[in-house]
Amino acid sequence: MPLSSRRHDEDTQPDSGRLPVLPALRELLPGGLQRGTVVAVGRWGLLGLAVAAGASAAGAWCAAVGLPQLGVVAAADAGLDPGRMLLIPDPGTHWPQVVASLLDGCELVLVRPPDRPSAQVRTRLAATLRRCGGVLVVAGGWEGAQARLLVARQEWAGIGTGHGRLRARRVQVAADGRGAAARARAQWLWLPGPDGSVGGADQVTVSAPDMRETG
Amino acid sequence: MRIAGDRPERVLVVWCPGWPAAGPEAGTAGDGAARGAGGGGVARGDAVPDAGHRAADFGRVVSVVEGFCPRVEMLRPGACAVGVRGPARYFGGEAALAAKIITAVAGAGFASQVGIADGLFAACLAAERARPVPGARPVPGARPVSSARPTAVRPGAVMTVAPGRTRAFLAPLPVGALGSPELTDLLPRLGIRTLGEFAALPAAEVANRFGTAGVIAYRLAHGLPPRPLAPRPPPADLSVSQEFDPPERQAEPVVFAAKALAERMHNGLAANGLACVRVQVQAVWEDGRESTRLWRHDGLLSALAVADRVRWQLADTPPPAHSPPPHPIAVKIPAPMGAKKRTTDGYPPGGRDEARSGDEGDEEVWGGGVRMLRLVPDQLVRDQGWQLGLWGDAVASDRVARAAIRVQAMLGHDAVTRPVLGGGRGPAEQVTLVPFGSVDDRMPSPGRPDTPGGPDRAGGRGGPGRPDRAGELGGPERGGLDDLGQPWPGRIPAPSPATIYPAPLPASVTDDSGATVTVSGRGVVSAPPAQMSADGAPWLVVTAWAGPWPVAERWWDPRTARRRARFQLVTEDGAAWLVAVQNGRWLIEARYD
Repeated sequence: MPLSSRRHDEDTQPDSGRLPVLPALRELLPGGLQRGTVVAVGRWGLLGLAVAAGASAAGAWCAAVGLPQLGVVAAADAGLDPGRMLLIPDPGTHWPQVVASLLDGCELVLVRPPDRPSAQVRTRLAATLRRCGGVLVVAGGWEGAQARLLVARQEWAGIGTGHGRLRARRVQVAADGRGAAARARAQWLWLPGPDGSVGGADQVTVSAPDMRETG
Repeated sequence: MRIAGDRPERVLVVWCPGWPAAGPEAGTAGDGAARGAGGGGVARGDAVPDAGHRAADFGRVVSVVEGFCPRVEMLRPGACAVGVRGPARYFGGEAALAAKIITAVAGAGFASQVGIADGLFAACLAAERARPVPGARPVPGARPVSSARPTAVRPGAVMTVAPGRTRAFLAPLPVGALGSPELTDLLPRLGIRTLGEFAALPAAEVANRFGTAGVIAYRLAHGLPPRPLAPRPPPADLSVSQEFDPPERQAEPVVFAAKALAERMHNGLAANGLACVRVQVQAVWEDGRESTRLWRHDGLLSALAVADRVRWQLADTPPPAHSPPPHPIAVKIPAPMGAKKRTTDGYPPGGRDEARSGDEGDEEVWGGGVRMLRLVPDQLVRDQGWQLGLWGDAVASDRVARAAIRVQAMLGHDAVTRPVLGGGRGPAEQVTLVPFGSVDDRMPSPGRPDTPGGPDRAGGRGGPGRPDRAGELGGPERGGLDDLGQPWPGRIPAPSPATIYPAPLPASVTDDSGATVTVSGRGVVSAPPAQMSADGAPWLVVTAWAGPWPVAERWWDPRTARRRARFQLVTEDGAAWLVAVQNGRWLIEARYD
């Protein structure tokens, strides 16, 4: 219902032109996710989920198209609400139509295009995005994306040779884009942290935060 | 006999003094009880057996009374009631009927008293206040007094309250007769000692002060039944159906008829101010096959959307077992626009596929035509409109539902799913995908983790997932989270991988010498893993690893039993993997990325 979505915007997001992001990502995506735009996150991974988590936690519905491998538990740990997720693992060759249909209902659509989108497809989806005011998070390349995030470096903590286990990953995320997001930035994040959540990591810190309790 | 307006039916209560009324203290509750039992001159210790025995004995009294009127309501051991109107006519009046009953009950060996009044409450009180008959002295449990004097009972043990005099009869009685401890305690302290004084209060004030219980007592004090009758109108049959004669062999007309049927069903529901939570679609083929499925509706679906569900259901219906060859007049179901060939889970790969016409992937063939289509609204609720909309309601909003339904129309019902988290050991087992908008009752029931063996032989689940109230649009998805808090021995520890391969990728893991790393039955690794290749990709040096974590799952079921040992590997490119070795083969289950 149109009324409800307006209400939502006012409630959860003072700036109705943007969807909120997790606090840890605020420096990389200043102001949040701009409605009607595309965010590219490189190859599929937790970063895509982290980008969507803030808005999902704030109440937005999130659809994942072409991602049969999406780890729902990881998504929930990162902050997405599984109760407001739609999964379309296999959209087939009609994925642009599927994405466009979903954008009518969901404010966030994660997509991993099964093929390289043509310029025509990109233009059509961009028009749909502007009309619906949603945000498309693309795992993969997308010419003309408003913002682009990439994992530049990563290191795992907690695991040794034959002992320990994976506990947390410290990644350096590089961001660039167009317009307001044009300035290239980089930030260290726990992606995931020891409890699966996403948090900012101090650049100097080498050891993981206190992770013993989580064993 | 006048049965007027609100006046209750004339009731006759047969009361045999001496039975415990309703509880341990009940023997002292009625003074009549003491009179009846004590007056017999029998020691009470002997005359009062346990209540169970007496309850059984009272059956004999009831069967005697049933000789007069077949519909006897047993109130409690010691008291039963009959409607008096019919039998009184037959036996020559209320008094004559009462006398006959008392005589007959005495013949069975029990003293009894009879009260006749308007309504059960007054009749009970009347029976308790009837004078006992001096001649009728048998007590419960005793044998008949004397077969020589069966007619010694005179009808003095009857109290008849004339029709319309019930209120006057009740007026002088103490409020304790209401049988409500609260009121019995409270009313005298307010200066209200008799039922008459209570009945004189304004009704609204009684309702205000004493609530529902007070209103019931107030009506009783007025000689009215405890509450006005609230007969429920028989639920209207809101199901709609259409017969096809001759059976319809084309799908389109059936779907078209379904749309009209759905409109009729919606109109019928709307006329009654109702909405249905689910709609049952039932299709019957001419060969007797039947397909019944429940679809979530929630008052959200348009007639067209219901018709879409009918289409999906028809398309999903398996062919008859004998799988007839494609027939020139077989029904062709064109798949919805844009659909691609999908293999629906759960059907044998034969049948439908071989019956599918070769040139177009968009047509499917059944044998036989549809004879009848019925839509039954299920779980009717008052239609309160769908005021949805605060995001955060765990109910799929209208907008989302419409988008999902549109995608389902393109790709098929199973293509749009919602995740339900549940308990599980491996990453893939913790999530169940439920088609959007469906209520799937075929899912296995949730299984609790049980650990019949040692720590490495943790129990598993019987089925693929836990459908915790699956399919409900309203807030079920987090219901399964309860299970996440439960311990799952052998569970992969957090954090969870973001990429879980639906089908594990084959992999190779070797040690320094290039030999495949193996894990013995005792969980010993042959050598530290040194390099890994995923699905034919270039070799990557393993920089860190942990494991093995052996799990033996479902070892009690030879068909699904599996033993695998899991590892976490970090490769030189910084990627982390969840790999497992099973039967000497390495598999990549998930990737942490």
